[in-house]
Amino acid sequence: MMVALLPLVHFGFAALSLAWGRVTRELILLSLVVDAVLVGLLSAGLSQGKPLVIVLGGWEKGIGIELAADRFSLTLTVLVLLLGGAVVAYLWHERLRPYFFMLLHLLLGSVYTLVFARDLFNIYVTLELLTLVSFLLVGYERKPYQIWASLKYLLLASLGLGIYLLGVAIIYYHTGTLNLGLVAARLLDQPNAPWVLLASSLLVTGVAVKSGIFIFSLWLPAAHSSATPAVSALLSGLVIKMGVVVLFRLTSAFSLSLPLLVLGALTGLLGVIYAIFTYDLKRMLAFHTLSQIGYITLGIGIGSEIGIAGSLEYIVGHGLFKGLLFLAAGVAVQTAGEGDIPGLIARRAKIPLSARVALLVGTLGIMGVPPLAGFCGKSLLSAGVQSPVIQTVLILISLGTVASFAKLIPLFRIERGPSSTWPVKLAFVILGLPILLFLPLARLLVPATQLSLSLHVLPFVKSLLVVGGGLLLYRLLSRRPFHLPQRIFRLEEAILVILSGFFLIYLLSVLG
Amino acid sequence: MALINGVTIAIVLFGIGLLGLILRRDLVIKLLALGLVNGSTILCLVSLNARVDGVAPIVHSPASVPYVDPLPHALVLSAIVINFAILALALVFVMLLVERYHTTDSQRIEHEIEGERTP
Amino acid sequence: MRRSSRGIIITASVLVICFCALLVMMFDYHGAREEAGVTYITKGTIDTGAANLVSAIYLNYRLFDTLFELLVFSVAVLGVRFYLAQQRGNEEEVTRIPESQVIRTSADLLFPPILLLGIYLVLFGHLSPGGGFSGGTVAGTGLLLCAVALGADVVGRRFHEPTLERFEWEILLAILLLALIPVLFGRLPFTDLLPRGRLGSLASGGSILIYNALIGVKVFIGTWVIIHYFVRHRGEI
Repeated sequence: MMVALLPLVHFGFAALSLAWGRVTRELILLSLVVDAVLVGLLSAGLSQGKPLVIVLGGWEKGIGIELAADRFSLTLTVLVLLLGGAVVAYLWHERLRPYFFMLLHLLLGSVYTLVFARDLFNIYVTLELLTLVSFLLVGYERKPYQIWASLKYLLLASLGLGIYLLGVAIIYYHTGTLNLGLVAARLLDQPNAPWVLLASSLLVTGVAVKSGIFIFSLWLPAAHSSATPAVSALLSGLVIKMGVVVLFRLTSAFSLSLPLLVLGALTGLLGVIYAIFTYDLKRMLAFHTLSQIGYITLGIGIGSEIGIAGSLEYIVGHGLFKGLLFLAAGVAVQTAGEGDIPGLIARRAKIPLSARVALLVGTLGIMGVPPLAGFCGKSLLSAGVQSPVIQTVLILISLGTVASFAKLIPLFRIERGPSSTWPVKLAFVILGLPILLFLPLARLLVPATQLSLSLHVLPFVKSLLVVGGGLLLYRLLSRRPFHLPQRIFRLEEAILVILSGFFLIYLLSVLG
Repeated sequence: MALINGVTIAIVLFGIGLLGLILRRDLVIKLLALGLVNGSTILCLVSLNARVDGVAPIVHSPASVPYVDPLPHALVLSAIVINFAILALALVFVMLLVERYHTTDSQRIEHEIEGERTP
Repeated sequence: MRRSSRGIIITASVLVICFCALLVMMFDYHGAREEAGVTYITKGTIDTGAANLVSAIYLNYRLFDTLFELLVFSVAVLGVRFYLAQQRGNEEEVTRIPESQVIRTSADLLFPPILLLGIYLVLFGHLSPGGGFSGGTVAGTGLLLCAVALGADVVGRRFHEPTLERFEWEILLAILLLALIPVLFGRLPFTDLLPRGRLGSLASGGSILIYNALIGVKVFIGTWVIIHYFVRHRGEI
């Protein structure tokens, strides 16, 4: 029952924020506290073994809407709490209208719903609300490039969800239900019927547009780099993950391992290649989001328990350090007045020390330096991978990640700079501390047996080697600037790439 | 089943809308094409479970009348409202862009924005 | 209208035609399964008390989805208000439609029946096709007719803006509270606790009538606000 209360509380707070415009910040803080209490109660219930599946309205599963909480969802709610708290702290001193806080509440409420959702059409409606809210948040400051980026996002996301709805129509026609669990049961006897492959490709294409998979989410670099830093942190750290969570739920009904593996590899490699040659800080972070989603999708595509646990750890870890990086990048760009990395390095005296330390922690995390958050996720993922091809892909992506972040190294000289306000520092601490202490905290997320697989000497050495190799790669590549095709990020080309991606998924489903 | 039926028409309309979204440069026409795409999805949902002898699912007496499945209609209601909201907000953004750049051509707007961003 | 480049036209046409062809060919018309549909048809009236099964579904079985839909609608209204808040974004002078006696008289004659139709659709939504959304839209476009006849600012002055804003979120809060009341009684949220009533009468369907009324008022206000802000931004109708 608390499962349904989590989103409803936020929707209620959204309405209240509009009413009491003066106390919006206290309201959102209060809502996070209420959330924490509810999550605590839910986790207590889960560990006692109480069933956490409800069908709203008390109907049966086939005709009502089901919400279910499992270990996966509860771990994600922790991420939501941390990111929400950090963003609230970051925005404490800014003057924002109640409209903004209402959008934040709606975003958090929809994220909670998606984490627990098990019904195809409920997912559709929630994704639409999430699209609209993110679209409005990106365009909050009304600058022209933000408006264009968010318009592209809205058009592509709406198209994607239209494709998703076609898939839902086919599934409903043949299985007579919209509940994922029941659909999975109905599909057990005919997993490879042509309509199943078609419908699953349509569903995956639709969700992939919102998940940050490279060929489908070409709106992402523009949208995430144009938004204000707090909004980018929320979008990259939280909203994008919801698409991947929905993909994970879809894998329980359809067999999607080959498409997801190929898509994950493509996203990871392409994203990192673009990131290496991008010199604008926020745009590079956005490309990194794309490539790290590749990691997570690979983990889900593998489908084994360790793979899923690795993906989960990486979702939380990436949410933390990408959020931290975006917040710190926001402070840096604001104080230095430059978005370009060479410009930032030249003016680094103006950037507060806390922002630079935060950038350092985030960078170490994303590079996979042990024992921080990134290392835990990556090593667990590689431990779950059997095939050498996928191992190579993972290593390549890590190398590229290190190489692209090596650009920031000149920023990390410890010198005195202006200091930032205490709420911003609090935001950095909220996100940075779990990154640093991830290893002990991970014991709460993942069963100890799986965790110990990642704690041998070999993963430690491997990750340090990868970091070294990446730095070397950076040295080699930094001589020649390379211009990658930017045309695919335009609207028309993006739609064509989405269509081609659909055919790719369909082909892979037929073959796999 | 006959080749010309609701679902086929819906898919053809979807294709026409997609082509319009890609090929036409005018932003307002792109929005119309998006509306067509969403509308065709709705048409597909409704016509899938329709029957030739179907009766609207308003049950006044539980006789054995061939009622049509009411669920797609409920889904379509939500989809229509959501599409309306999307079109309204997209139109607002298009209006803001057009007022700023005095053109409805999407490629020119993109060009000017790229020009503004890279000093 | 300048054309896109040749490459894009060819690629787009090929991809879209293949996409449509694939969908049309792979659509399997056999194997339809009528599970949930049959349950709704046979047990819908008994479970919910409403004759209109579609209303029964989206206001009782799947009320959660309708809540999200309402939130999407509210977000749209608020977004339009946020971005079009300044008046006269257009610098060009817009000439108003000259005052026409035909429009004025027909608006006088038609507005009350339109409003009545809207109220009928909302109140009888659980007995015949209609419901909160259609009724609210009908009433809202009736107001649009008035705005065409009288001028949008005249109608806007009649409907005080801050009161409308307050109404909107109050209705949203009311719907949420209605959904949460069953929790106090130990049931799941969104459960319908009101009596079902006699099938076919106005007082049937449990809380569907209340939801329809609330949604109808909300959509009415929302439609009018969106239209008003668009008109204000452009100049006048």
